[in-house]
Amino acid sequence: MTAWNTFYRQFIELEAYKNFLIGLKNTAIIAVFGLLIGLVVGCLLATCQILPKTNRFIKFLSRVADVYIAVFRGTPMVVQLLLIHFVIFPAAGINIDSVIEAVLIFGLNSGAYVSEIMRGGILSVDIGQTEAGRALGLTYGQTMMKIVLPQAVKNVVPTLGNEFIALLKETSVVSFIAVTDLTKAFKSIGDSTFEYIFPYLMLAATYLILVLLVTGLIKLIERRMRASDKR
Amino acid sequence: MISVKNIYKNFGPKGEIKVLKGASCEIQKGEQVVIIGPSGGGKSTFLRCMNLLEEPTYGEVWLEDSLLTPPDPYLHFDVIEASRTFGKMQAEHPERAKEDIIREIKEKDLLTSREGKAYKTLLRDIESQYREDINKARSRMGMVFQHFNLFNNLTVIQNLILAPVELKLLSKEEAEARAMSLLERIGLADKRDEYPSKLSGGQKQRVAIVRALVMNPEVILFDEPTSALDPEMVGEVLDLMKDLAKEGMTMVVVTHEMGFAREVADRVLFMADGVIAEEGTPKDIFENPQNPRLQQFLQKVL
Ligand SMILES: Nc1ncnc2c1ncn2[C@@H]1O[C@H](COP(=O)(O)OP(=O)(O)OP(=O)(O)O)[C@@H](O)[C@H]1O
Ligand SMILES: [Mg+2]
Repeated sequence: MTAWNTFYRQFIELEAYKNFLIGLKNTAIIAVFGLLIGLVVGCLLATCQILPKTNRFIKFLSRVADVYIAVFRGTPMVVQLLLIHFVIFPAAGINIDSVIEAVLIFGLNSGAYVSEIMRGGILSVDIGQTEAGRALGLTYGQTMMKIVLPQAVKNVVPTLGNEFIALLKETSVVSFIAVTDLTKAFKSIGDSTFEYIFPYLMLAATYLILVLLVTGLIKLIERRMRASDKR
Repeated sequence: MISVKNIYKNFGPKGEIKVLKGASCEIQKGEQVVIIGPSGGGKSTFLRCMNLLEEPTYGEVWLEDSLLTPPDPYLHFDVIEASRTFGKMQAEHPERAKEDIIREIKEKDLLTSREGKAYKTLLRDIESQYREDINKARSRMGMVFQHFNLFNNLTVIQNLILAPVELKLLSKEEAEARAMSLLERIGLADKRDEYPSKLSGGQKQRVAIVRALVMNPEVILFDEPTSALDPEMVGEVLDLMKDLAKEGMTMVVVTHEMGFAREVADRVLFMADGVIAEEGTPKDIFENPQNPRLQQFLQKVL
């Protein structure tokens, strides 16, 4: 039997495609919701760092954000996954669905990166924009929400897109905590047939297609945003 | 209208860059005041202290009866008299005149953060009686910047109505109507849905002036409104400002346009080294300058 026939039999006739679909779904869920949580966490962290340091509480928050970012950017994703899954959650008595757990951990991790991206985006907006807003009597919050953040977000869409792509590819480590994702689905096909060529080629192709789809989506968003200021 | 009392402004982490060194002025309602002076003399900083874009290190800024800064103890004799430092100095030299002690305290900056209960209470009383929320005060004062600072993410009309609508001063319809009539007046009604990046410098600055006008401000502060413009566009902006002046708008204008100062100003302030070194009518300032620094400055620019 050729390698292709083996793969085909396993995938279609022995219904490994069902496992593939579960893996695809899980990979997508972890990447998309991970990014969404990352955006929320990242914006909060960036806010903590960017607020004018007028009192001790804000200074404290900003230090906490610094430490958070240093820890999550300074250790490998796999290590964070293992540590939280096998040490911190059991110790805290938390027992939740592994996919949800993966979403949370990826979200927390992504938050550290997103916050740096957002902070850069906010700082890249001319200070004159803030001054004009404040001079009209708008509050700090109003100026941020209506003027600075919309411009900052537009500036960082391409970078956020890269972060999403990186996150999507990095989800391939979730099999360490026994989640069936794309990687695990294809690996188990290989493991049960001892033919690895097609499972892994298909695996690579699937990630590639996903990344290309995301890239197209980001381009689309970018173009939409640029149209709004016709520059 | 605005009174700025003995403003000091230090920059830098330790306040080592001393930019304003006791600058004061009074702006009357309906008056047009032009501030001139050498580069780096503190004109922008002074103007920005008026709406607290810069927070003065010492001194007070008043808009009518509203205090915009925290009260400055050195400007209130009764507060100084209530301080522990004053008490101690008086106890040591009971023969000294009150005014003398107060003068020494002011000159040597002797007040600390711990001056006792009476002192604190007095300051707090001033604060609760006069202090106004800075955002509210700013909505009463317009500001026009050298680099226009139109909101890049908003169209012209959105730029104009954002603040009045957001601050609930006008309904959206009222704000739009007001904005459109002002745009018509400056001949830019057809640009209402353009983004600022599509406007020329002169158009941007005129829209920025209109953005201030939509708020119906009591006074407008201008920081070198024509310095970033190509020469052929300076005229259109100055003309609009002259119109406002004729209508009696209270204006404080930092500018290098001496022609404008001569023609429009009721009063000219010459600022150098962080103080108002001379002030007077345009005639006084340009034809009969007293201060040697002013004479020097005029020789260079005229
Ligand atoms: N945020 C700041 N930090 C440190 N130094 C500052 C700051 N803002 C202003 N300065 C300094 O204060 C001095 C006065 O500045 P300011 O802009 O008020 O002068 P100016 O009279 O407006 O000059 P110009 O005519 O060039 O606009 C300058 O030497 C400037 O370097
Ligand atoms: Mg200046």
